[in-house]
Amino acid sequence: MIDVRNLTVRYGDTTVLHGVSLAVAEGESFALVGESGSGKSTILKALVGQVDDWQGQMTLAGHALQPGRRADLARQVQMVFQDPYGSLHPRRTVDDTLAEPLAIHGIKGRDARVLAMLDAVGLPRRFRFRLPHQLSGGQRQRVAIARALMLEPRVLLLDEPTSALDVSVQAEILNLLKGLRAEKGLTFLLVTHDLPVVSFLCDRLAVLRAGRVEEAAAVATLRAAGLRSAYGRELLERSGLV
Amino acid sequence: MSLLAVDNLRVTFPSDQGPVEVVRGLSFALGRERLGIVGESGSGKSMTGRAIMGLIGAPGRVTADRLEFEGRDLRNLPEWEFRKLRGARMSMVLQDPKFSLNPVIRIGDQIAEALEFHTQLSASARRVRVLEALEAVRIDDPERVARLYPHEVSGGMGQRVMIAMMVVMEPALMIADEPTSALDVSVRGQVLDIMDDLVRRRGMGLLLISHDLNMVARWCDRILVMYRGQIVEELGAGALNTAQHPYTLGLLASLPKLNEERATLPILDRAALDGFMAGAAR
Repeated sequence: MIDVRNLTVRYGDTTVLHGVSLAVAEGESFALVGESGSGKSTILKALVGQVDDWQGQMTLAGHALQPGRRADLARQVQMVFQDPYGSLHPRRTVDDTLAEPLAIHGIKGRDARVLAMLDAVGLPRRFRFRLPHQLSGGQRQRVAIARALMLEPRVLLLDEPTSALDVSVQAEILNLLKGLRAEKGLTFLLVTHDLPVVSFLCDRLAVLRAGRVEEAAAVATLRAAGLRSAYGRELLERSGLV
Repeated sequence: MSLLAVDNLRVTFPSDQGPVEVVRGLSFALGRERLGIVGESGSGKSMTGRAIMGLIGAPGRVTADRLEFEGRDLRNLPEWEFRKLRGARMSMVLQDPKFSLNPVIRIGDQIAEALEFHTQLSASARRVRVLEALEAVRIDDPERVARLYPHEVSGGMGQRVMIAMMVVMEPALMIADEPTSALDVSVRGQVLDIMDDLVRRRGMGLLLISHDLNMVARWCDRILVMYRGQIVEELGAGALNTAQHPYTLGLLASLPKLNEERATLPILDRAALDGFMAGAAR
């Protein structure tokens, strides 16, 4: 579903990704783990066409991507961002936010689709005409997930989707994501620094450091604290988990 | 005598629906130790820190039966008296150095500001103290860092600068509000180590406010767990497994583990919890 080969990204003279390769199968949930500056978010940006200057090969949902050209893949791939306070338009109601992608793509039956999506992400229907400031952080993240799913994409790119949330709310959103993936057969590419979240939500992971993949492993290896690379072990130790 | 004594602390803000109490009758004492306050957003943990520092302005209202710092009554202390305490005897470290440092003032000058305000030291004596403070937070090249602007340093270094700014006056009480939440895990340990070292060597009292139950449990001598403006439970160091209150237990259960095998994570049942709290209050 996602195939990245030898991806190199430079910002000016700085190389932020050095020939990164990874492959995610359809229906799989894959995690990119690393600290600030490791390049994990840059991979997501390159996949959705927010980085113009890259080298290598990328295939997304069967389409080969070209540098500098934004592929028309909105109905295949959508993204959920970290901060639900920053990613929703403050003066648009939940209904506006959810119906906009349908209007852009000329999809009919908006009313029924918005209501069905509110049910799917566990938001009460009475929230439909509320503004973001009338919602809690967890509710906003549900709206952001709902918006991403409105066009029924096959791939969801998740950039730290729960790290701005409280622990108890994080559990709710993680359960929601896991349930939606099973129900709709979605493919996840998750960026995070939180190893236990990977353990709960993902099948495989890649550890990134300074723009290089240090290690790729199955989640069973992570659960057994069996990461082999020096940096992988360091992350485990520093997270206080070993 | 304890460094800080708080008895029945209440913080209230007016709203359209009448006054809202965000801290509801908090009592605790702090000696020369590391005390953690843990809670989620809206639990009142940050408001507690601000109330102690006298940083809750109108229309907020702070009341307490007792609020004493080094034997001085902080209730109704005039602002000019408070200013002599803040930065000198009690200091605060905030979450994100990107927003708490002044972007247009050199780091050395920002640290020296507290000395300028609180002491009669000469410029050269101030400079010596600034460099010492930077060394105390393990900055290798203090002379160079003192000349830098905040955007020229990393997040971890920025947070160390914040701590240097706070320890330069050698306060007796340090309130750290989510000091490591904006930092990468690899830098977190370092910043906590430095604070730990300062508490031990200089005999400071530390109030660490955080949402991270595990981090606080590993690192503090005692933990207060807050929910809806109240302390629901007090726990000793590393004694998370002895937690009894349904809120603490709920929080611990909802946290994914490294060897996570559960199909779904348990959700905090807030309705049942509020019922429990109402029952306990009766």
